[in-house]
Amino acid sequence: MRKRVFSLMLAATMVGMTLAGCSTAGKPQDSDSASKTLDVWLAPLDDDTKNNWDSLLTEWEEEHDCDVNITVIPWDKYQETYTTAMSSGEIPDVGYMYNEMFPTFIEAGAVVDMSEYITDEDRAEYKYLDNGNIMGGQYGWPIVTGVPFILYYNVDILNELGEEPPETWDDFVRICQKATQDTDGDGQIDQYGYAVGMNTSDIGPVQILNAYYYSVLWQNGSNIYNDDLKSVAFANEAGVEAMTWMKDLTQYMNPDFMSYSWSEAFSTIFGTGKAAFGVNRSSQTDETTYAEAYPDLNWDYVTSLKNVDYGTFGATDSLTLMSAAEDKDLAMDFIKYVTSAEFMEQYHAKCPGAALTETESYVGDPKMERIYTEDKDKWHGIQVGPCSSDILTQLAADLQGIMTGELTVEEGLAEAEEYSNNLLNEYWAEQG
Amino acid sequence: MKKKADIRKIEPYLYITPITLILVTFVVGSVLISIFLGFCKYNIITPPQFRGLGNYIKLLDDSKFIKALWNTIKLELYIVPLQMVSGLLMAVFLLANRKHLLGKIANCVIFIPFLCSNAVVGVVWRELLNGKFPPVEAFFGLFGIQPSMLLGDSKSALVVVAGVAIWRWMGYYTVIFLSGLMAISKTYYEAAKVDGAGKIRSFFSITLPMMKPTIIMALFLSITTALRNFELIFNLTGGGPNNATTDLVMYAYTLCFKSNSAGYAMAVSNVLFVLVMIAALFQKRLLKRESSEL
Repeated sequence: MRKRVFSLMLAATMVGMTLAGCSTAGKPQDSDSASKTLDVWLAPLDDDTKNNWDSLLTEWEEEHDCDVNITVIPWDKYQETYTTAMSSGEIPDVGYMYNEMFPTFIEAGAVVDMSEYITDEDRAEYKYLDNGNIMGGQYGWPIVTGVPFILYYNVDILNELGEEPPETWDDFVRICQKATQDTDGDGQIDQYGYAVGMNTSDIGPVQILNAYYYSVLWQNGSNIYNDDLKSVAFANEAGVEAMTWMKDLTQYMNPDFMSYSWSEAFSTIFGTGKAAFGVNRSSQTDETTYAEAYPDLNWDYVTSLKNVDYGTFGATDSLTLMSAAEDKDLAMDFIKYVTSAEFMEQYHAKCPGAALTETESYVGDPKMERIYTEDKDKWHGIQVGPCSSDILTQLAADLQGIMTGELTVEEGLAEAEEYSNNLLNEYWAEQG
Repeated sequence: MKKKADIRKIEPYLYITPITLILVTFVVGSVLISIFLGFCKYNIITPPQFRGLGNYIKLLDDSKFIKALWNTIKLELYIVPLQMVSGLLMAVFLLANRKHLLGKIANCVIFIPFLCSNAVVGVVWRELLNGKFPPVEAFFGLFGIQPSMLLGDSKSALVVVAGVAIWRWMGYYTVIFLSGLMAISKTYYEAAKVDGAGKIRSFFSITLPMMKPTIIMALFLSITTALRNFELIFNLTGGGPNNATTDLVMYAYTLCFKSNSAGYAMAVSNVLFVLVMIAALFQKRLLKRESSEL
């Protein structure tokens, strides 16, 4: 009998625990005495984002009688976390988004157009404010920018070949052709013109567009969308020419380029001195970090080649005011504070990054400074338009098909164009 | 007295209440929600809009879906037979050599890959294949293969995914087959030996027939586990090149979380659900027939 009663009690406890586990407990109460709280979701901006930010926010928290709860979302599940949070109603007051993320959230009314909060002083002070102007509104307040994908070159290889750093497509092809060779005489090519990696297992398919494709497309004067955002432009004459040029470069690439991710190709092929050129996302601290990572590598960089125009991809990630924020003025004050020179000078002293404001000085390695001075206009973000995630994912798959030879340039681009335009037609038809 | 009898009637239901609650909430509930959302346009963020059979009609004309479905079928065809054969052979080997040092070592090592997560296995194999490790290069060199080319070729990438999946699950199926083999009475083999049957004859005439229920169970487990390659694909190829390794699960994931087309993703998942249901019903029928024969 006792055993039976005990078993029943256990069963009842389990039911209770199951129900308790399923209940919505709401937001945890902070033990601190501040009267307000602000939930902020960030991406991993450095090795210890939460602590680095927390330590710099104390004064602002005291001044505003507010606790800032920072949550750092890992990159590999970044967009998923936001979308699932939206459906469960656990939305932060301030979010952090990259440009391609915005359209869905704008359409859903999940983010606020911050235009009314921008003062004339802000316009004069914040250098990249325009990069956060998306689909007709100021939905993003840029916080991380200035890390464009740039073309690194091996100085020793170029010197051996008697070449200067390339400026044009023709220069680039000529050097790639000369650099692709068998250096040890065993009959096998062991030095390549261009270290490339197009395996998308790294952080998603769009990364190969960021690293290799946009630059070629823009340098040839084309773009992803047409200006009205109602159809795509990447398959126009300039787009086909750009893709053909890129496809022709495969003969100078490491033959296993489809197996490596872009970062692996850079580190294992360019980093070990086996290629004349490699593409990587730049950082203000490259001079310091590469000295440790690639001590034997004598490198330099070209921010962008030029054909019709200059152009390479530099992401702009922004803070955004979420519609769910209870105190929007407070959240906006926070956004302006953490992007101000006052906050960023301290933060960039710990984790170097591009200055966001006119009053903040450059704190990175001297070698990388020209990206933000003389080459400032050679890089930019992508056009943000409807269905962008779908379109870019399809384009990345077709890019792989073209580069492996499974599809011709015309076939691949036509497939991507048809898919994209169908999506856009459907989208605009729904918009009325 | 009547009250006591009533309590006794209710009692079993109380015992199964916790697991029933969990199953209903997280399994039955999820399936029902998925079926409903399969008929909706839904992006997770905004409320779903009913669109009838729209998602399913779209599937018929979706070349990426057809490619993903075909990749899923190909993975099944690569993985299931090889997994069965390799697992069974390994189990026979382990049973025959369980007293030898090699058998003991193999017994311990064989299960290790199964203990690792698919994500870890994916990363490790990508590193092995792309890492230019001399032993790996030498091994593949014996077959004239450059390992770093494998994941980038649309023809070989899916085979690599299947190979890694077989490698990972081999220990699991070996253990299943081993337990089946150990359950066969030695007297059958002794009688066969007296009748002059050799090892091969004994294997085909005793081991295989006696193992039939275990093989059927393992076969259908293998059919379902062969669908669980998401993390492997994610970490080995990301679904590329040109969707050559994108299976239905990977496609549904991309639709749901990258394209914000959760409704359409549910329709893809529901197709997969139907396929698994058919396989499960087929298994149930086979097992029933098998047990009645035995």
